[in-house]
Amino acid sequence: MKLLCIFAFGLLAALPGAAVQAALNVFACEPEWAALVKELGGDKVSVFQAINAQQDVHRIEARPSLIARVRGADMLVCTGADLEIGWLPLLLRSAGNRKIQPGQPGHFMAADFALKIEVPERLDRAEGDVHPYGNPHIHLDPHNVARVAKALGERLAQVDAGNAGHYQARTGAFLERWEQAIPRWEAQAAALKGMRVVSHHRDYNYLFGWLGMQGALSLEPKPGVQPSAAYLGQLLTKLAAEPADAITRSVYNDPKPAQWLSERAKLPVAVLPYTVGGTPEANDLFGLFDDSIKRLLTVRTPA
Amino acid sequence: MFKLKATAVAVTACCTLPLGASAQDSAALDEIRREIQQLKQTYENRIQALEKRLQDAEAAAAQTPAATETAKTAPQAAAAPAVAAPAAKQVTDNAFNPAMSLILQGVYGDLKQSPDEYAVTGFADPGAINPGTRGFSLGESELNLSANIDQLFYGNLLIAFEEGSAEVEEAFFQTLALGYGLTVKGGRFFSGIGYQNAVHPHAWDFFDAALVQRSFLGNNYGDDGVQATWIAPLPIYVELGAEVGAGRSLPGTFEEDTELAEVERNKNGPGAYALFGRLGGDIGASNSYRVGVSYLDTSTDDGQFALADFDTRTGVENAYNGDARLYGVDAVWKWAPNGNPAQRNFKLVAEWMQLEREGDLTFDVTGLAQTDAFKLRQSGWYVQGVYQFIPAWRMGLRYDQLDQGSSSLGANANNIPDVDYDPRRWSAMVDWTPSEFSRWRLQYSNDESREDVTDHQVFLQYIFSLGVHGAHKF
Repeated sequence: MKLLCIFAFGLLAALPGAAVQAALNVFACEPEWAALVKELGGDKVSVFQAINAQQDVHRIEARPSLIARVRGADMLVCTGADLEIGWLPLLLRSAGNRKIQPGQPGHFMAADFALKIEVPERLDRAEGDVHPYGNPHIHLDPHNVARVAKALGERLAQVDAGNAGHYQARTGAFLERWEQAIPRWEAQAAALKGMRVVSHHRDYNYLFGWLGMQGALSLEPKPGVQPSAAYLGQLLTKLAAEPADAITRSVYNDPKPAQWLSERAKLPVAVLPYTVGGTPEANDLFGLFDDSIKRLLTVRTPA
Repeated sequence: MFKLKATAVAVTACCTLPLGASAQDSAALDEIRREIQQLKQTYENRIQALEKRLQDAEAAAAQTPAATETAKTAPQAAAAPAVAAPAAKQVTDNAFNPAMSLILQGVYGDLKQSPDEYAVTGFADPGAINPGTRGFSLGESELNLSANIDQLFYGNLLIAFEEGSAEVEEAFFQTLALGYGLTVKGGRFFSGIGYQNAVHPHAWDFFDAALVQRSFLGNNYGDDGVQATWIAPLPIYVELGAEVGAGRSLPGTFEEDTELAEVERNKNGPGAYALFGRLGGDIGASNSYRVGVSYLDTSTDDGQFALADFDTRTGVENAYNGDARLYGVDAVWKWAPNGNPAQRNFKLVAEWMQLEREGDLTFDVTGLAQTDAFKLRQSGWYVQGVYQFIPAWRMGLRYDQLDQGSSSLGANANNIPDVDYDPRRWSAMVDWTPSEFSRWRLQYSNDESREDVTDHQVFLQYIFSLGVHGAHKF
């Protein structure tokens, strides 16, 4: 019982420490949303990025360090649409932080504001690790980034009402630059239209859809299922019948399957950043699209 | 939204006001009624307008079924939101059903020694906790239901089905909105002490639990009670937890054919309490760790229990009455290149526990019945490493050992022969996880739990998880 009293006392003594905060503490799950929060929040926000660009967002552990960071967050900015289903719910339940629970203004899920593709008509795990709410890799369509930015700007202004003007101004400025960048990217990527690519996972379908490319085949037999030698062999046969122009993979994917296919099908491989920080050039959201397009253009054989 | 709230307030006011309202308030009431009437009219008009728009939209959609196809391939198509969104947001009667998952397990065992004669020399009679069954057998099937109850609470029920019985393993609520890093859990739950204790069998890295976990805590020690945990407002993870419970079962004390001995308490107040503290963090992007200390305190109340393997050792029936205190230290370290475990990862777990029993021991209850002060301190530990060397394939090694420790038997020292043997076992396993929902495991154990007897155990096990994608603890 004595120990309990000490515990309770220690708890009371530590409480005031939680109240003192300089900037708005934002816990961003993915690098793309961390980058967006920095664009819209500037010096009024302090962003913790849960995962880095070298990590596979599907395979993150509910690490103790993440629980500690969620506990101290004023706001949570993640993708949603079940992308973080394997770890985020546990962080939310363990952290004892009411500000970022579902339903609170501090709980922001980007996919709620984006247009999603590939919403499955059939939910069956035999189809692999399917996402019931559609393809969650929404940030690779710049129009989605604009939609999310608008909603996120409003939400930041709501959560940190004292600095609402600051967020509104920065969001406005960002969207202006972004809307100017989209036609520029589309012009640069005009040559990519109609290009057929084999991608490692279905994580680039938003980008391909936007640029009029065809992500016809995937190195994974089913989403989230690692390619087997037998399946890659079938892929090779398919490619002989319907040739593709290139293979793409993310920096965090195992390089071997893409390499194997590349050697046999004589196709170039484009290693894409996937998110902010994936390559040195993709240092912010603008850089992400600049570099993705640049890297795709280098493997585009002139028609 | 604000207007809806205003309506709700007004309605509430209408319902509650008359209780204390006098005649002079009736004018005010009439005013409120008029306002409600106006609001109602406004909303009815709006709803009619919306219904009209919906009908128009449906008619338009029916004329262009091709729109669905376009939406799938062209995300920028304007038709996409109208088609994609309703499919996900459809509300039906079962939309609020709890998330459900089902665990199916089965095993094929090949044991050199008969499981019926299994014993751990100098430690509790394992009773129902045997090393496994020979031949084919069904493992524990689990049904798990969970959901947010409302904005304040989360609820979880876990039922384990075994031969001829269904047991409520866990049934608890957990707070979501206390803030300040506080979470309170109540009901029946696995205690937060140690590392392995709160891990359900389907998530174990080996077919069976470590000897120390099995002997002292009966695989998973759970209780009916309340748990409070607090996460410190620090950039590194510091968690403190406390539990008070009924003391439903007694660690390290067994009854025949049961796991941990059930304590029948007929008194108010808690029968057991536990404390734990944890510290964790990352070292670079590739390494993360967690270390913890635990304490559990419970007593036999006024009941008497068979203790350790004293009965088999002495050939007569003995009884114990007193306290049980458990101290534990645990550590987990995980490595994955760049924090990306998909290709390769490594997990190392080590745990040490000491169980202290202090009270009275009655030797030969039905004969001599000599009672005297008694103290026994036993400990055990394990260390296990699991390495995923290529996607979907892992291999693991575990060594575990129990230490007889020291005892003070008082006047009974001459009646109970001393044991000088430390039960030990080592195990090797390889498992294949083709998806996150299925796992096949082959394990070999060299089990020297019994003095002078070596058991060679081989298990081939499957673990399937159906339904929602459960999040697993670190």
